[in-house]
Amino acid sequence: MMTYPLAAVLVREAKIRATNSLFIFWDLVYPLGYLLVFGIGVNASLGFTSGLAGVDYNAFFLAGVLGMASFGIASNTSWSFFLDRDNGIFYEMLTYPMRRWEHLLGKVLFNTLVGLVQALLTIVLATALLRIPVRFDRLPLLVAATLVGTAGWFFFYAIFALRIRRNDAYNTVTSVFYFVFLFASSMFYPLDPLPRVFRIAAFANPITWQIDVLRYATIGVGDAVSITVEAIAFILFSAVAFAAAIRALRDAG
Amino acid sequence: MSTPAIVVKNLVKTFGSRLRPIRAVDDLTFSVQRGSIFGLLGPNGAGKTTTLRIMTTLARPGGGTVDVLGYDVVKAPLEVRRRIGVVIQDQAADLLLNVRDNLLTFARFHGRAGPPVRDRAERVMTQFGIADVADRKVQDLSGGIRRRVQVAKMFMIDVPIIFLDEFSSGMDAILKRSVMAMLRAEAAAGRTIVLTTQILSEAEELCDDILIINHGRRVARGSVHTLKELVGRLHEVTITFDRIPPELETIVAGYAPERVVVQHNTMQLQLRDEEPRILELVSALGRHGRIQHLEITGASLEDVFVQLTQQPAPSGIERPSLQRAGDRRSNVPGD
Repeated sequence: MMTYPLAAVLVREAKIRATNSLFIFWDLVYPLGYLLVFGIGVNASLGFTSGLAGVDYNAFFLAGVLGMASFGIASNTSWSFFLDRDNGIFYEMLTYPMRRWEHLLGKVLFNTLVGLVQALLTIVLATALLRIPVRFDRLPLLVAATLVGTAGWFFFYAIFALRIRRNDAYNTVTSVFYFVFLFASSMFYPLDPLPRVFRIAAFANPITWQIDVLRYATIGVGDAVSITVEAIAFILFSAVAFAAAIRALRDAG
Repeated sequence: MSTPAIVVKNLVKTFGSRLRPIRAVDDLTFSVQRGSIFGLLGPNGAGKTTTLRIMTTLARPGGGTVDVLGYDVVKAPLEVRRRIGVVIQDQAADLLLNVRDNLLTFARFHGRAGPPVRDRAERVMTQFGIADVADRKVQDLSGGIRRRVQVAKMFMIDVPIIFLDEFSSGMDAILKRSVMAMLRAEAAAGRTIVLTTQILSEAEELCDDILIINHGRRVARGSVHTLKELVGRLHEVTITFDRIPPELETIVAGYAPERVVVQHNTMQLQLRDEEPRILELVSALGRHGRIQHLEITGASLEDVFVQLTQQPAPSGIERPSLQRAGDRRSNVPGD
């Protein structure tokens, strides 16, 4: 059963995000724009193929967009720690009757739901407009990968949001992360044709693990064994990030 | 006699590097009685906010213990948080929520929700003069209104202890008086209120019990009356003449005043002497000039505070710079 502090954090996050249209734009609309503009653009204009038999670029990129949405929502949610700190409410909230893990979990809970809504919107758009053959029989795996993915990335980002005091420094960190994590991964292209060093970096990148699971869940690409290993690795990554984020929150006050 | 609401024993908090540690709180021991309004006073950097942060579980002590209603702030922080409401020194409001949602969200964190809480929110907003902006986002409101929202939240819940760090900053005089009356009523109903303030008249008017600290150490403790006794026989005399008598300097000098300020036709004196001697001085001045207005008061809490916090810092402890007693200007004509 959900504790009342957990429910309180969840309702607070929901109210803040639901009543501010900019959050809705960044969380829900922005990734769809990527799928339509970038995906269709590359697919149609450059005649780019995924390099995988029978898989066009739109289909290949679908999992990338889902991973990008998870990553972006997590980044936006962790940034709210800065907003709370600037508003002073962060420190007041640390005196509220809740455990640190409830604070952290409550903050991400609503956003995993947003991530899920975003993922479903993307799937609907991909199926209806782009005619991508989505594997609906693997929908539960897609839901699980989206929820765990959004939460895992939020915990990871939260470590930095809670440790770094300056907003500009945090923005620099997130920009670098955005570039490194997204491009050194299987988000935009298959890894096989890449130089060895690049491939190693991408395989060590947790977003590759998440996107590979999402790709397996959406269009069935990948073998079950390696996908299972990647899924376990991402869960472990999320658990470690969660523990580190709680420690950072305890140190904050 | 009931057990104290808060017991602080040998509290220590150190900041800075290991090589150059700064003791913000240095072996502080005190207790706060239930249902009292307790004032924690001290100059800037005295350790008030650090002490408050430890009592409210926002910071961990470096040494010593703090019990809030029997719960140790380190061992049982959640139990402590269930029993306290805190107005921190900085402004703290959810800027992206409207005023009403700020109050309701705060109540929800304390396990309060539903129609009675909504009704209570309406009453509290009316009390704090923020009912007309109930549906506006706090980010669109002034700093003063934001502070009202912050303090108003404390009246949404019934926790036994409230901590207020500089609660009145940004409040106008009328609202401040109203909030002070509300705090008194809360204390009378059994709530314990711990406050820090730089506005000593506020503490003088509100607090049943005051602890003055400096350099993280206890300087004095007691009721306003007890503290005033500590500086003893201090009087403030204000006299307005139709014109300043030429013999003023000579007459006043015979009574060894601690401070003399003359502005236009008004003279303010601070004297440490018995009442008959004060009256004798007034009488002497009255013989040399026509007195239009006379006011004699005992020491204010501010006088007590200034006197008590001007002790030299213990060696090895960093301290903020303070104005020394000898720095006070004497404006006696010809001085």
